[in-house]
Amino acid sequence: MLGAITIRVSRALAAAAGAVLLAAASPALAQGQSQGQSQSQPVTGIHLGVATCAGDNCHGAKQRPKGSAVLGNEYIIWGSRDRHRNAYRVLTEQRSIRMARALGYKDAEHEPRCLACHADYVPESQRGAQFQLSDGVGCEACHGGASGWLGIHISGASHDANIAAGLYPTDRPLARAEKCLGCHYGDKTRFVDHLLIGAGHPRLPFELDTFTAAQPAHFVVDPAYIARKGRVTDLQVWAVGEAVALIKRMDTVLDPKRARSGLLPEFVLFECQSCHHNYDSLHAPRPTATGLGPGTIKFNDANAVMLRLAASRVAPDAAKALSAHMMALHKATTDDWAGVEREATAVRKIAAALVPLLTKYEFTADDMRALSGGAIAVGTGPDNWQSSHAEQVTMTLEAIVTSLRSAGIVGNAQADSMIAVLTQYKDVANEASYRPEPFVKALRALQPGLGK
Amino acid sequence: MSADRWHWRAIVAATVAIVALAASGLAAAQTPPAPGGGDGIHLGVASCAGDNCHGAVKRGEFSSVEQNEYLIWSLKDKHSRAFKVLSTEPALRIARNLGLPGGKRAAETAQICLDCHADNVPESRRGPRFQLADGVGCEACHGGAVGWLGIHISGAPHRANLAAGLYPTEQPLARAERCLSCHVGEGNKFATHRIMGAGHPPIGFELDTYTAIQPAHYHVTAAYIARKGRPNDMQIWAVGQAVDLKKRMDLLIDPNNAPKGATPELALFDCQACHHAMSQLQWRARAATGLGPGQLRLYDANLVMLRVIAARVAPDAAEALATHMLALHQASAAPVPDYWAGVQREAAAVRKAAETLIPALEKHEFDQGDARALAQALIAVGVGGADLDYSAAQQQYMALQSVVAAMNLLSFADVAQINALNDALGGIGKTLADDQAYRPEIFVAALRQFEAKLPR
Repeated sequence: MLGAITIRVSRALAAAAGAVLLAAASPALAQGQSQGQSQSQPVTGIHLGVATCAGDNCHGAKQRPKGSAVLGNEYIIWGSRDRHRNAYRVLTEQRSIRMARALGYKDAEHEPRCLACHADYVPESQRGAQFQLSDGVGCEACHGGASGWLGIHISGASHDANIAAGLYPTDRPLARAEKCLGCHYGDKTRFVDHLLIGAGHPRLPFELDTFTAAQPAHFVVDPAYIARKGRVTDLQVWAVGEAVALIKRMDTVLDPKRARSGLLPEFVLFECQSCHHNYDSLHAPRPTATGLGPGTIKFNDANAVMLRLAASRVAPDAAKALSAHMMALHKATTDDWAGVEREATAVRKIAAALVPLLTKYEFTADDMRALSGGAIAVGTGPDNWQSSHAEQVTMTLEAIVTSLRSAGIVGNAQADSMIAVLTQYKDVANEASYRPEPFVKALRALQPGLGK
Repeated sequence: MSADRWHWRAIVAATVAIVALAASGLAAAQTPPAPGGGDGIHLGVASCAGDNCHGAVKRGEFSSVEQNEYLIWSLKDKHSRAFKVLSTEPALRIARNLGLPGGKRAAETAQICLDCHADNVPESRRGPRFQLADGVGCEACHGGAVGWLGIHISGAPHRANLAAGLYPTEQPLARAERCLSCHVGEGNKFATHRIMGAGHPPIGFELDTYTAIQPAHYHVTAAYIARKGRPNDMQIWAVGQAVDLKKRMDLLIDPNNAPKGATPELALFDCQACHHAMSQLQWRARAATGLGPGQLRLYDANLVMLRVIAARVAPDAAEALATHMLALHQASAAPVPDYWAGVQREAAAVRKAAETLIPALEKHEFDQGDARALAQALIAVGVGGADLDYSAAQQQYMALQSVVAAMNLLSFADVAQINALNDALGGIGKTLADDQAYRPEIFVAALRQFEAKLPR
């Protein structure tokens, strides 16, 4: 995992990459436009294919090559443990075949809608000689087409020079959030809507910092890493990830093509357990801090709740405003669509304004304690019947534990045991396996270790 | 008749006179008897429950009815507990969740609850012995007795009772209108999804089946037939489905139930479309809706049944129903902002098709050929996979019960055959006991077993 409490912003960012990042960081975010597509698939570079990176002197090395700034085994980790490698193959499995049939597709492995996220789906004209769709989400799906930078990259250019030549800056929280969430939440063109879910697609639980670690990460933050890329903290990654996820969620609300259809709203915007529960056992009353009445479907606000938590340490006024607008958004979902759009715009604006602050902010030991207290309060609070809240609380706590470990506040053994407890609650996709009561108990047991 | 009975009648006559006086003093606004509660003064259950009237342990020698109607109602019929249930913990929880005022009396005093959990006529139409606490009592269904109790007691023919204001519950259309006014709802008498979400149980209904399991407080005897005609369960089922569909379309078109914010009135949709475990991948394509997976569908099990009926009785109407329902489903998922006009247009067309069918269904003499054809068509809906949603399976099951009941009553099958069919129905029922445990394959297997028992 990324470590350290300080961040060193490299000033040598070359103009081209800087422009891309800035475009993502401010104007596009503030103007309410989704830019996932342009971000995640730069139109210039040719994608040369995984084979190009996998050489045993490059990223397919069993041992760290002498003098290498990286471990050299990145391809091996990806090729043996990272599910991204299976992203394409999964399209040929039984579940995908059944989904494709339900959706009226010929099959999944040739369907652009599936390939958009299950492979490095660049246009034919951008596929090099060794490129294979069947490599799934390979190196260049995240790091960008290598034709422009492979030469200098192999020759040992600096990280900044690589970026200037077109390497995607996955080390930077905002860029990473945009890239990952382009699929793990979606955008205008790539979106797992309720149609796909109903056909059998799994839900998409996500938290940027935890998923970076769980991937598993194919990097270690050592002095060589820090010297080349600077320090980024887990909590910065977490906070920026929540903000970008919320922005993308609001983009969906504000996209007339995705937000509603006929009598029905886009259900993936809502909390799954609002509807998916056995009405005989009536989970009612289902308490909620939103003030919504019974029988209403609740907007999935887990990212907003987490972002509010981060903002409470970084920009308390923004936290309050975010809270107020989310409450108004919840209410509007029951009586006023224009209100939904108005409030979603306001929420989006607050989240976008928070991104640069969160990227820079140095979370202290006090912050970590306060954030863990806040996350536990959410997890033990009225809305914890929602798996989305449980998931985000769990992953947030994991980011906090990792930060506490990096800061030397919590020892390795203790951190490992806390993460082992949290891991049980990371994916509560099947609500049958999730019960708030044991979750609350587990959180209370963790509380002392997190420094209150 | 015994002296006792005369004595009792004198008391009632006196009561009637007093009530009539009170009523005339109160208002000239007394509305003429009409279906839907616009009837006379409601005298209260006590007025009917005399042991020489409808509260008799033993049938009187010359009585055309069993006379134990009050006893059946009060001992076995849940309608008698409709009000009492409002003070139980689940009801109080619902009231709390809805924010109703009144503490422990919140549900018992709220109009939204009372309109269906009691005979909630205006104060001005409640006689001295009337008690809200009697729940859905005699006059909630049979109408306020002030206008007809006198002649009713004196042994007037059924027709005369009706002419004096007794509600014609034996007529399928009238019964459907009466029962469904609560069991589906109309206007403000409607268990919205807000009420469901607060804890109200879902409301399943099929007119003929629910008549039987109420339990019915009448027997179809020679005396019954002489007074009221011979009922046909298939007809009751058919008319019930048409009225049910009509009322659903009314609710769908009602501006009060239009989508608000991001939320449509969810009570109009198929419950199990949402209320299922996410691990249970249950979506099946249905040509009748044309909807994709993950798209919430309007509840249409009644329509599927009515199509089966219409295909037998009025094939043109069946086609119109199918066309407009497909269009309604499509409109329900059409791109914003065009959908609402489409929903209203198609719902109105479905409503009209259902309404047009009613006279034909009332007139049609459902015979042995119909019984066989309808049973086969119902089985085909499930076995053929046209509609295997839980809601549809429930309706198929209840429909088959009605068909078998008709076969029994009209002697279309012998006792052994009826028993075998009823056993097979029990097998179908078991597969539907728990909506969360429902598996279409098992339901279909039970349908096939039933099919094997049908008389050739």
